[in-house]
Order: sequence, then C-alpha cells, then structure tokens
Amino acid sequence: MTALADPLAPAPAAPAAARPVNRARRRAQILHHIVLIFGVLLMCGPMVVTFMSSTWDPVVIHSEGLQLGYGGKFLETYETVLLKGGGFTGEITGTLMLWNSVLLGLGFAIGKIVISMLAAYAIVYFRFPFASLAFWVIFATLLLPLEVRILPSYEVVQRLGMLNSWSGLILPLIASATATFFFRQFFRSIPDELLEAARIDGAGPFRFFVDILAPLSKTMMAAIFIIMFVVGWNQYLWPALMTTDESMFTIVRGIRQILQVWIGANIPDYNQALALAILAMAPPALVVLVFQRMFIKGLVETEK
Amino acid sequence: MKKVQFGPSWTPYLLLAPQLIIVALFFLWPAGEALRSSFYLEDPFFGNATFVGFDNYVDSTSAADYGRSAQFTAVFTVSICVISLGIALALAVSADAVLRGKSPYKTALMWVYAIAPPVAGLIGVMMFDQHIGPLSDFARWLGWEMQVGVSYFDTAVAMITVAAWKQIPVNFIFFLSGLQGIPNSLREAAAIDCRSPARRFWTVVFPLLAPTSFFLLVINITYAFFETFGVIDVMLKGEPGNNPVTLVYKVFLDGFRGQDLGGSSAQSVILMIAVFALTIVQFRLIERRVHYS
Amino acid sequence: MLRSTLLAAALAPAFVLGAGAANAQTEIAWWHAMGGRLGEVVNEIATRFNASQSDYKITPIFKGNYEETLTATIAAFRAGEQPNIVQVFDAGSATIIGAQGAVLPAEDLLKNNGVAFDANDYIEGVRYFYADSAGKMVGMPFNSSTPVMYYNTEALEKAGVQPPKTWEEFEEIAPKLKDAGYVPLAQSHTPWIFVENFFSRHNLQFATNNNGYDGAEGTKLLLSQTPELKRHFEKLKAWKDEGLYAYYGAGWSDNQAPFENGDVAMWLGSSGSFGGLSQSMKAPFQATYLPYWGDVEGAGGTTFIGGAALFALAGHPAEENQASAAFFEYLTSPEIQFYWHEETGYVPITTAAYELAKSEGYYDEAPSAETGILQLSLPGGEWTKGYRMGFYVQIRDVMNREFGKVFAGETTVDEALKTIDEEGDRLLERFAKTSG
Repeated sequence: MTALADPLAPAPAAPAAARPVNRARRRAQILHHIVLIFGVLLMCGPMVVTFMSSTWDPVVIHSEGLQLGYGGKFLETYETVLLKGGGFTGEITGTLMLWNSVLLGLGFAIGKIVISMLAAYAIVYFRFPFASLAFWVIFATLLLPLEVRILPSYEVVQRLGMLNSWSGLILPLIASATATFFFRQFFRSIPDELLEAARIDGAGPFRFFVDILAPLSKTMMAAIFIIMFVVGWNQYLWPALMTTDESMFTIVRGIRQILQVWIGANIPDYNQALALAILAMAPPALVVLVFQRMFIKGLVETEK
Repeated sequence: MKKVQFGPSWTPYLLLAPQLIIVALFFLWPAGEALRSSFYLEDPFFGNATFVGFDNYVDSTSAADYGRSAQFTAVFTVSICVISLGIALALAVSADAVLRGKSPYKTALMWVYAIAPPVAGLIGVMMFDQHIGPLSDFARWLGWEMQVGVSYFDTAVAMITVAAWKQIPVNFIFFLSGLQGIPNSLREAAAIDCRSPARRFWTVVFPLLAPTSFFLLVINITYAFFETFGVIDVMLKGEPGNNPVTLVYKVFLDGFRGQDLGGSSAQSVILMIAVFALTIVQFRLIERRVHYS
Repeated sequence: MLRSTLLAAALAPAFVLGAGAANAQTEIAWWHAMGGRLGEVVNEIATRFNASQSDYKITPIFKGNYEETLTATIAAFRAGEQPNIVQVFDAGSATIIGAQGAVLPAEDLLKNNGVAFDANDYIEGVRYFYADSAGKMVGMPFNSSTPVMYYNTEALEKAGVQPPKTWEEFEEIAPKLKDAGYVPLAQSHTPWIFVENFFSRHNLQFATNNNGYDGAEGTKLLLSQTPELKRHFEKLKAWKDEGLYAYYGAGWSDNQAPFENGDVAMWLGSSGSFGGLSQSMKAPFQATYLPYWGDVEGAGGTTFIGGAALFALAGHPAEENQASAAFFEYLTSPEIQFYWHEETGYVPITTAAYELAKSEGYYDEAPSAETGILQLSLPGGEWTKGYRMGFYVQIRDVMNREFGKVFAGETTVDEALKTIDEEGDRLLERFAKTSG
C-alpha cells in the first residue's frame, strides 16, 4: 500500500519534471487504477450478483446458489414484488412497504436533525449551569442501543399510548446522541468572530441561529440527513415489535417475512427476497448519489 | 469550549428541552428499568419479580460461552476496524490521487453505503454457503476446507468479512473527505519537500488524517458492537449452535429470544459499563486531537 | 416552537389502529409466526372463517419468527395489549403454560363456550404435548410435525440395501452406501431429533419431575445419566469419523441441502419436509419412521411433535373469548385440518381429519405425507407425552453448541452431556425462580 500512497501528487499542471519522475508517476497512476478497480469489484460485485440472482427461479437459487448470468425473470419477479398485494388485508405491496420505509427514514432523519441541532446549539453557544451535565446525559445514549433495551422501551411507548403510531415508532429511535455529537463538533469549528460580529449587529440567539448558523450548516445537515435516513430506513427489530398494523410494514421487514419460512415445507421465494433487497437499496442509494457532493463537503467541515 | 457565548437565559433550556425529554423518556427510563431488572428474576408475563442480588451477574458471566463471546467480540471489533479502515484508506488514497475517472470510481464505491445489515447478511450467507457458496468454493480451491456454520473459526471469518465489507463505504467516504480537506498549498509544499510519495504520505498526510481516523475508530467500534446485529442475526440462520456471537447479540439471544429478562439485563449493564469506559478513553483522545489540529 | 412544527410536519401521517366497525361483529386478533407460503395459508384460513359466519372477525398478524412472536406477546401482555390468540412454539410452551393465569386453557375455553371437547379426538402424539400435568389441553396444537427419515431410493437401490428400521440395521448398510459413493446419513436438528425424540422413541425419561410436567422447581435434565443416549452420540461421533454420518452444523437447510442434491442417502428431517423436497430434489425419495436402537427395551414407540400451538390469552371480554372458541372449533374441523395438512405438510391433529385425508385418497398421491401421522399414532409409553421445561430455547442452544463441539472434536460425548446437564439445570433453576 505504501507504494501507492501518493495523495499529494500535485495537479496535472505540475512543473516540468525529469523523465524518470514522469514514468514513476504514470506507474503510480496505473496502480491507483488497479486498487480502485479491485475496490469497485469488491463493493459492487456482490450487488450485481444479487441483482442477477433475483431474476432466476427460486428453486435454482435454492439448489445452485447465487447466479452470475441473467435469469430472464426480471419483469415477473419485480412486478410481483412491487404490485402484488400480500398480507391478510391483501393490501401490502412492495410499493406500500417502500413508502413506509421512506416515511420512517424521513421522519427519523428530519426529527433527529432538528432536535439535535437545537441541543447542540444550546450546548455550544450558551453559558449556563448544567451545560456539561446535559451534554453527558445526551451522550450517554450512545452506550446502549435500542436492541438491548428494546423490551423496557416497548413498555414505555405503550404507557404513553403510542403503539402503532409513527411517533411511537420514530421517537425512541431518535433518542440517541450521534447527530448531536456531529453538530456539536461542527459548531465548535465555526470561528468565534461570527458570533462576535452578530452580537455587535445586535442579533439575538434566534436571529443568529436562523440567519447565520443554519445557512452555514447546510452541507452538514445534508451529510447527517443521509446518514440518518439510511439508519432509519434500515430499522428492523423495533418496527417489527412495535407495529401490528399491516399498513405500517416496512421493506426490510418484508425481506425477513419472505425468508421466514418454516424450513423444509417450502422453498422460500429467494428471488423475491433478493428483488426486495435490491429495491430496498435503491432509494437510500439514490439519496447518497444525489447528495454526494454535499455529503463529502459536509463531512470535510465536521472534521475541522 | 467557545470563548464567546450567549449569557445565561432561559433560551438554552428551551433549546435542549426536546432532546432531553426524548432522552429521558426513551433512554433513561428504559435503561433504568434494565438496571433494576438486572437484580431481579422476573416472571415475563406478569413481572412478578424476586430480588436475587448479583445472581444474574454471576450466572451470566460464569456460563461457559460468556468468556468465549467476550473474546470473540474483541477479535471481531479489532478485525473490523483494521480490515475495513485499511481497505477504505487505500481506496480513498487512490480515489484522491487518480487523475482520470475520479467521479465514477467515487460513485461506484459510495452507493453501496446504503445496504441494510440484514441484506448484507443475506448476501454473506449465500456467498459463504458451505455447499454452494462461491467464496467457500474459492477457499476449497485454495486448499482450505471452509465450513461456515460447522467450524467456529470459519464462521468467525465469514462474519468478520461480511461485517467489515459492509463498513468499507462509510470509511471510504470519511477518509476521502478528510483527504480532500487537505489544502492544495500544503500538498504542493509537501511535494517539494518530500520526494518519495510513501514518505510524503506517512509524514505529512497521515498525521493530517489523524482526527478523521480517530473519529472513524469510534464509529467503527460502535458499528462492530451494535450495528452488526443484523449481519450476525441473518448469518446464524436462527441457530447460534457452536458459532461465534458478540456480547450484544448474546444480550439479545438471552433476553429477546430466551425471555431471561434478568440475565440479559445484567449483561447489558456490564456492556454499558464497558462501553462507557471505552467511550471516555476515546473521547479524550479525540478531543485532544481536535484541539491539536 | 420551531421544533414542534417541524416534527409535526414530519410525523403528520400518523396512522391509528382500528377503523370503526359498523356492525356488531366481535373482532379478535391472532398473532402468528408463519412467513412465506405458510403465512398465505394462515390468511386463507382466517378469510374462510370470517366468510363462514357473520358474528366474528379474526385478523391474523405476522409478528416475525417464533421467538419474536413470543417476545412481542409478552411485551404486549404486560402492557395489556395482548392479542386474543397467539402461536407459541414447542420450546416456548413452558414459558407460556407456566405463567399461571396468562392463558385460557383451550379445553376450558371450548367447554365454557358450549363446544364439545374430547381429548380422544386428537391423535396420540399431539394429545398431551401442550397439556398440563393433569392432562388438560392448554394450547391448541396448530402446526405439528415429527421427525422422520427420508431416503433417496436411487441411492439405496444402487447400494442394494433396504431402508433401516433400527440403528443396528443402519450400521450394517451404511458402509455399503458409502461404497456406492454416498454419505449415508445426515439430520437437521440435533436437539429435536437426537435428544428429545430419542427419549420419546425409546420411551426413556428425559428429565426429573415427570419430564418437567410436575412443576418447574427441582426439574433436572437426565442426559448424562442416560447410557443409551451416551452410546448413541458416541456411535454418531464414530460414524462421523468413518464417513458414515455427516454433520453440517446447526442450520436446518445446511443439512438438508446435501440430501437434496444427492450427496446424502438418508436424511432425518421433519414429516412436513416432503413439500420442499419435492420442489427441489432431483432423485426420487420416500419417507419412513425414525430409526431406533433395537436392543433398548420398549423402544420403537411414538415420537414427540415439534412445531407450535395456539394459545388463547386471558384478559379479554367474554364475547371475544367466545369468538376465539368458535375459531378453535373451526380450525379443528376435519375440512380445515385437511386443507392445512395438504397445503403445508403439517400433520392433521384429529383422527377425523386423518380419516378424511385417507378417504380423499390424498396419501395415494403423496405417500410421504402419511409417514408422520402414522409414526405419531404408534403406541405411547410413560415418557412419550412430551416434556415441559423453561428457558428451553437456551437449553437447546446449549445442546447445539455442545454437540457441535463433539462433532468438531473439541470435546468428548461425556463432557458434552455433563455440560448440557449442568448449564441446563442452572437455567431450569433460574426459570423456577421466575415462576415462583
């Protein structure tokens, strides 16, 4: 790896150098391409195989494993998965499950950004008693993920009368400090002069937040939005425990439901599970791709 | 902390209120419940509890597989960090350095970020299937009779591979943004001072990436502990058998799957203390690094 | 301010359960763990029940796998949100039956609501499995299966052997199958097939306290004190080393797959597995009884069932319980049982349903489907009723782990059985404290 490490190679318009250097540089470029091609194969290969396999018959997947070639059943499988009504009500389609996952992802990401931005703002920009206590209380939530406190959480949600509701589904997931931690780091990197200037102009906390801090945080918000959207989208265990209403089922749960066949009696519809897996990846992947630039920029800013 | 801040007023409390209320309701309350029930043996249906002191702690930690799980958790976490961070760093360095095709490479390496852990697990199960998995075939071709699900070691290898694989895009994105955050002026100065690219990397670039790396270390440890749940769950196919599990998964196995509320609460309290200690150490390091840079 | 409006906007489409019912129909909920095709059959049964009368409406809800369903039920029960009927699997039955007052015993539910009940209507093997120590049926057996042996007829012909009835016969024919190029034997669920059903098939005692039926306190496992079981596992290990038995881990399908693709000649699986096998197996196959050791006195009797039962939960108004009773009655009717049997491969739980399947000529087209029910109808003995042990999910996990170690050569049979007894007893002791 050391041989390839040349991130400081100056831009193409570098001063003219001796020939050996040029050759070495070309060799380095080739090596970089090899590394990247290997990486792309490593990351995308399994996805291609998953997609290809989803176009085969479930029996073939069951007995011969993943497939590299195209199986010819793309349209049928994806149509079934997207449009065929399942569940007792017959209304659970892949489309509905996708929509529910979108709701969960959006609700979670937006809720989390709003709440944690406000909290981080208070912690970084205000001097008040208990500030560090508040920070540590919030930070403590990183210690125990929902999976290991899931039963008591269920009881709490029930006592609050929030079973089978989107707020009951989303709020307990929001109770984790990751985003607050990100925003705190980011706010601390913003130069003090900004606040000084704002105060000379007579801006109060509200004006400062709305006019200066929020616009400055745009890319950061985008980065956190992507991260959180994906986290919300990928939830499985909590929604499965919380919701009994079929109309709230999400796509990750749908994948599990297909594979959850009493073993032996039937062959699971592997093709449909894989097709759902591909569909489940599409929207978050799209979010990542669309916000790609902001994502990286946002992260660059956090780290300073 | 900031040198300039708003003075005392009711505003910060108002701003903090939503988060604190949610944390109190959905974290402190359930975590308190877990702490309480770690000292009781409880009838799951009615919650009639018998106080048993530290029995739950003793019973769960003295079970034969607890030590083995703890050991595996450590190996699992370290391996994921090393493999995933190593590959991601190499990829990020190359993606930052290539002159042509930068953005297609970036896109191809980033979009997989969104894969759900259970889906990664599903792909892993099929790749490592002991009969028809292509990766098992490959291992056999190399002369390694790999049997995931039968051999403890082989299953561990498969789990680590899948879990580390899933985390590569995240690390890649952060490393790449860290590299791109290095100012051009610095790059040019380094290029003049330091001829060998390798030396340039280790003496100039890597230290500049240190805050990113420390930050990623926290993210990766958290990931290995908590977010690999879906990967492990799917790869075990519902039967832990003689296969490795992490401590977090064991909490889930005993509590959620086996209804041993007291035992699993005790384990989560132990875990909480361990993570707390780990976090403080990491946090200190990060804070120092951030100030340093 | 800002926060609440934004949050409200994000959460706006909050759905609330329960659309107002216009008529006086009594609605009940049924939580189950049947995914895939089985879930579709469950939905079909519910739809048919709803169409068959107008007083009651049942809604089935898939709650994940068995463990997730039980846990969701417990959480819901503590919150007073429990469904009317829940499906609980064999290993979880001690937990739910042990919770005094959580369940309305099926027998009481039916009798109190004017439905005739006679335990003798049910086939031998399922009658007492979900009953209390007095023999009262608590859970209504729902999806039941039992371990049987499938064999690849082509393989056996090639080796020139007959399917073995006993393990002694197996020892004779296994080398021939090996010479013919096959792995003679595999099985898919060590605790269920080689422990629980070993005790049943050989009519041996599995645990003290009447296999646990007489109460949780002081129940102890008897694995290490059963020489027959010890011998069995020592033989298995020896067979494995000689290439006569193959162990592919604790995963069900990992062990079934080599039988499907023709590497393994005989495979012990579930009586319901024939449906999946006929989809995926290339070679012809047949089913026969689970082998036993001929030299064990009283061996060769009936086996235990595996699968799950339906439990009616307490805490609901009388008219809802009446609806549950009506549903149980409908579910056990021969027509529905036959439909379930035919669609899923699970055994019919009543003699009447079995007779119906026979008279419809079902077993002429699917002879393998009959093996399970015939085996469950074999004479029973003192120790073939079932077993009742708490934290049994973990006990099975311990068994899987220890036997996995045995076959990997990491421990001896002796040590493994001792560890299982020790850890199992500790779990049982803990369980006794929770219900005490």
